[in-house]
Amino acid sequence: MLQVQNIEKYYGSKNNVTKALDRVSFEVEDGEFLAIMGASGSGKTTLLNCISTIDTISAGKILLDGMSIADLGEEELAKFRRERLGFVFQDFNLLDTLTVEENIGLALSLNHQNPGTVQNRVREVAGKLGITDILTKFPYQVSGGQKQRAACARAMVAGQSLLLADEPTGALDSRASKNLLKIMTAMNQDMGATILMVTHDAYSASYAGRVLFLKDGRVFNELLRGERGRSAFYHEILDVLAALGGDISDVI
Amino acid sequence: MTLSKLSLRNARRQARDYLVYFVTVVMAAALLYSFNGLVFSREVQQLSEAMNTLPFVIILASIVVVCIFGWLVSYATGFMLSRRSRELGTYILVGLTNEQVARLFFLENLAVGGAALALGLVLGGVLYQILRAILFAMFNLPYHFAMALSFPAAGLTLFYFALIYLHALRKSRKRIRKMKIYDLIYFDRQNEGAAVPAGKLRRWMFGVSILLGVAGTALLMAGDLITGIIGAGGLLAALFGFFLSFASGVPAFFEKRPVRKYQGQTLLVFRTLTSKLATMGTVMAVISVIFTATLLTEGSGLVFNGIFRGRAAETACFDLYFGIEGKNRNPGSYLEYIDENIPVEQSVLYQVYLSDSSQVQDYVSSRTVYYYYNYDRDPVLCWSDYAALRSVAGYPAVEMEPGQYLIHCMTYLEEPLRDYDQPITLGNVTLTPGSICTEHLSQSLGVGNGRGYILVVPDEAVAGQTVHHLAYAAKTLQPVSAQQYEALTNMAAMEYDQQESPVGYAFVTTKANEAAQVAIQTSLLVFPVFYLALALSMTAATILTIQQLSETDRYRRQFILLRKLGMDRQEMERALDHQFALYYAMPAVPPILIAVPCIFHMAMLPEPGVMEGMSSPMVIVAFSLALFFLIYAIYILLAHTSLKRSVLPE
Repeated sequence: MLQVQNIEKYYGSKNNVTKALDRVSFEVEDGEFLAIMGASGSGKTTLLNCISTIDTISAGKILLDGMSIADLGEEELAKFRRERLGFVFQDFNLLDTLTVEENIGLALSLNHQNPGTVQNRVREVAGKLGITDILTKFPYQVSGGQKQRAACARAMVAGQSLLLADEPTGALDSRASKNLLKIMTAMNQDMGATILMVTHDAYSASYAGRVLFLKDGRVFNELLRGERGRSAFYHEILDVLAALGGDISDVI
Repeated sequence: MTLSKLSLRNARRQARDYLVYFVTVVMAAALLYSFNGLVFSREVQQLSEAMNTLPFVIILASIVVVCIFGWLVSYATGFMLSRRSRELGTYILVGLTNEQVARLFFLENLAVGGAALALGLVLGGVLYQILRAILFAMFNLPYHFAMALSFPAAGLTLFYFALIYLHALRKSRKRIRKMKIYDLIYFDRQNEGAAVPAGKLRRWMFGVSILLGVAGTALLMAGDLITGIIGAGGLLAALFGFFLSFASGVPAFFEKRPVRKYQGQTLLVFRTLTSKLATMGTVMAVISVIFTATLLTEGSGLVFNGIFRGRAAETACFDLYFGIEGKNRNPGSYLEYIDENIPVEQSVLYQVYLSDSSQVQDYVSSRTVYYYYNYDRDPVLCWSDYAALRSVAGYPAVEMEPGQYLIHCMTYLEEPLRDYDQPITLGNVTLTPGSICTEHLSQSLGVGNGRGYILVVPDEAVAGQTVHHLAYAAKTLQPVSAQQYEALTNMAAMEYDQQESPVGYAFVTTKANEAAQVAIQTSLLVFPVFYLALALSMTAATILTIQQLSETDRYRRQFILLRKLGMDRQEMERALDHQFALYYAMPAVPPILIAVPCIFHMAMLPEPGVMEGMSSPMVIVAFSLALFFLIYAIYILLAHTSLKRSVLPE
């Protein structure tokens, strides 16, 4: 589904260049749940921003369903984002002025879907994610976990094919995190969503089917869960992180 | 870093962040200074004796203006205090005392106020010259540019500014001293509840406020003082009720209509607006009240201006005119004085006759509002006198066919009289209707050339007709001076007093005196009224704008997210424009609905024939709106460019 080929990303001016991404390549299969891990400054968020077309790459290619996103114009990019990509951010990024239902419906409204069907579609997805009873509330009236589930609902309500999550559990307590990760797993397994999640939390990453480790802008290692249990996979992730040499407190 | 250095740096930042507010305060200083200039100007007071009252009127208006700007500064400092509560809390957190923070805030506002005052004095100097030039032009005097700082005017402006700022700063100082560090740091996290939550109460309030608005407008137009006050009270309640209930009513409306909510950009636009209205309901209502007051003030200013000019235009068509009613009708003493003192280029002494019937007056009364009933029969002028009068007034000559009569009337009577096709009979002469002329011809006076209209007939037709009064019109070589006018008026008054049973009176008008009267009335009434209107509209527009621009960060975050979600730039611009247009239209619509019928009604009140041409009711309404939107548009444009630049992601 997604092919990242040798991408590079530089920041800064002539004399002071920072290499944020250095020849990163990987592929994401349809229906996969991939986690990208790394310490602060390893380039995870830059990578996600490049895939989500919020940022541009300096070299290389990103292909989604065989189509290079670098070749798209501004309008096409906007269309691409609203039709194909769903976002879940650490700080939820819901609009305070809109109710939960309206926040989810916004994605459909932006896609110019028939206004008559919006409410039903929102309720259907909200039902699946267990947030039906908070639909009429405003973001500041609900908990962090509920907010993040609303963000997940928004990310898939318009039938987006790739869900990009940036530290989705970053602002949640452990119970809410667990709950959200279960929901994301269900979205992946039962609803067929392809998920690309950036995290520096090993526990969150252990819910994914594959984990990609970044260090200093490069792919350092890759772990496949295969048939292993989540707990075994979690410990294996911790081992890699230890080998990665980053500050351990930073990654747990 | 010392406290004063920090204050200065913050002051610079404040002036930059709240540029619109800073510019308004500069303009406020300029306005106050320029009008204070009129208070202390000897040459302005020497323009006429009546201008001695100008300082009193201006100071009275200035007190109101100081209150208006005082409210603005107080509101804006309070608003900035809320916006910066976290920063001020941090100062306390790092070890400053509340007292020191209060002093810091005080010093930085004083610096902003001081800078605004200094700039305002310079700008005010220019503005004063403009006012001076207008005044001199109205009095037909030559104007010479002379830029100089008037110390008394600057002193009074400083005094006003001290009042404005000290009041605002005393309030915020009290607030800071009482505030706890937690409140300061978490101030901006607090949510405000909806103003009117319950559905039934809200609908009831909405309905009642609309009814009150209509009733208030009607009462305001009734003209009576008591009903006017009740009407104004009703309008106040209506505007507050409307904005408070409307804010909470719109979400309920869309809640029941999800299909409309998700159409196009409705969702974003209505939610941004209602989220603002919930917190801004009261402010919107206050602004609406101010806008209503602005429009009504501008409208009444223009109506007064129209009345002064309209009345003067009708009577100021001759350089010198007098009419004498009564038995004696001896112009000897007047003519003698004129002969000795006023060089005349051309003059005509004539009589105004009465016809045998009141048929034209009856016709006019049946067709339009006519309340000049002091002639019991139609007034008549003979052709040769009329031709001479036209020449004296400088109008082109006209023709009259034999056997016809001509009507000269005020413009408002032209339409009904054009349809008048009846012949008139004077003695044994019968005349058919001819053409109609409508130039100004002193037709609003009791001893003028008819009231509203006069019939012009061939000379032979007036033989044997009753004389109503005697009149004299002249074209002079120089404008008749105030002293000469006074001498002639005194003569008329003395003759009136000498009559045993006064039945007739004499009346003198001069073009120069009419112009001076217009100038005096304009400077005493119209100037202060526009001074108030300007202060009002600037204050309201500034508050709306600083409220809007303070949301810049929230808007920016919103559009960054929308961009991530795939909204294209064109759509974002459209959504922002919609939000913006609605935000600025909301507080302006109710005032327009209230003020337009009121101004129209006001402009209809003067006697017919006065509010004509550029002073006709429709034109006055249009001008009032144009003036209002001119000021408003400047602020809208400022806010729009600033918002678009900083909100939409690249």
